[in-house]
Amino acid sequence: MMVPLWENIFRSDRRAKTLEAALRGNLLFRDLTAREIRLVQQIVNVRTYAPGEPVFQQGEIGVGMYIIVQGSVDVTTEEHARANQAPQNQFITRLSNGDFFGEIALVEEAGRRTATVTAREESVLIGFFKPDLMEIVNRNPGAGVKILLGLSKVLGTRLAETTAMIRSLKLNDRIEA
Amino acid sequence: MNIRKLRRRKLLFFVSVLLGFFVLVFFVRNLLVSALLAFVGFYLITPLVDLLERRGMPRITSVLVPFVTLTAVFFLATQWLLPSFVSQFGSLKGDLPRYLEKAQRLSVEIEAQAGHFLPPETAARLTAQVEERLLLWAHRIFEGLPNYVSDSLTVLFLAPFLCFFMLLDGRSLVRQLLAIVPNHYFELVMNLQHEISFQMGGFIRARLLESLIVGVLVAAGLMIMDFKYALVLALFAAVLNLIPYVGPVIGALPAYLLAFLGGATSGEFLALTVIYGGAQVIDAALILPILVAKIVNLHPVTVVLSIMIGSQLMGVLGMIISIPVTSALKVTLSALYQHLTQFRDEI
Repeated sequence: MMVPLWENIFRSDRRAKTLEAALRGNLLFRDLTAREIRLVQQIVNVRTYAPGEPVFQQGEIGVGMYIIVQGSVDVTTEEHARANQAPQNQFITRLSNGDFFGEIALVEEAGRRTATVTAREESVLIGFFKPDLMEIVNRNPGAGVKILLGLSKVLGTRLAETTAMIRSLKLNDRIEA
Repeated sequence: MNIRKLRRRKLLFFVSVLLGFFVLVFFVRNLLVSALLAFVGFYLITPLVDLLERRGMPRITSVLVPFVTLTAVFFLATQWLLPSFVSQFGSLKGDLPRYLEKAQRLSVEIEAQAGHFLPPETAARLTAQVEERLLLWAHRIFEGLPNYVSDSLTVLFLAPFLCFFMLLDGRSLVRQLLAIVPNHYFELVMNLQHEISFQMGGFIRARLLESLIVGVLVAAGLMIMDFKYALVLALFAAVLNLIPYVGPVIGALPAYLLAFLGGATSGEFLALTVIYGGAQVIDAALILPILVAKIVNLHPVTVVLSIMIGSQLMGVLGMIISIPVTSALKVTLSALYQHLTQFRDEI
């Protein structure tokens, strides 16, 4: 069946607008100008996942982060209760529209994924990888600095959250003791 | 439509287009050479384009400025060097019968000397073979010249044309190709593509810079020495320098041969050794340490095998491009091996 030309044009325009909105809503790209966002839009990779399809698996080398444009994903880890026992899947969290994950891979050197992420339903994700970040730094250093600053803020917040969590766990241990 | 079905259709379409492109490149005359030269141009100009884009120029202007400037420089340099080059080549063509005659006389002398050690029929066969080879070689070079010129002109227009569009749309083409990679392999393929492109860029720029420096040093030395055919010999040395180990030696041979046949003095031989040896010493001592990290080292046996395969498949051109192609394969295979052994390795 022939697809009308006008519908196609509007669909691609709508897709660009959705992408732009998804990028604008993300902490890493929030401070970019309209021109810089357009550059990022040309560089990032839009990927579609079928229900149950893994985005990445625990133990693989990660090269970048993903932003959820549409759909949702489950984050799970494989834990060994004992050294000689089979690993067990542990559900960590469910992420949906606007959430992002895997950003630590942007700054790690051959760092491995610490969890498995699987699409729950048909999902559209924006993949932003180390080579993409390097390309932006190379072509537009101003935009690169803004993105790196945003990334630092995100990593700083994650570190603060983890520290607070460890502190509360230690406190619990002390109370129980 | 089901996502997996759509993906399969996309993959099939792109694989067919890619296969069609490869068939076209390998079977249409001059297209392979033009595409290879366009790749070389792409890797040479990309840093300039990126630099201009960093200064805030739009992509199209960033591509156009270095492209137009380099084309102008190339044509000006050609206009400046071509007359001397053509006259030196013409003079070499004119002098060749004299050199051949001298070489024949020399082979007769050697035959007379060798006659004491070799059976008469072997010595006679040797002289006849040497004569035949020399005549055939000279005939091939000068008879094939019009063909080389017409091929070169086609390549001269086609390569920049392809290079321009590679610079302008290359990235989006690569992105479109990456888009068809299955999700499971996407990160691996994307990282691999980036690594190969980065290493190939460094390799091509380093090798060409090295050859250019060797060519300029040899040309300057031979011109100071007032040696005949300085430009032709320097170009030959520069091109052959692209081949590691054996290239610099073969590149220097014609100068020694011409000096020998022209009855050069021992001082002139010494000067030639200083020029060719000096260019290699400067290359090894000053240029290589700066560029060494970017140059892919091949084992001497691999070099010889690559050159042999290249010459069998594509003649002289095959010999020249065999090393960059082998180096590209080495980069690709080692990056692939590293990724396949590390990427999916469980903790």
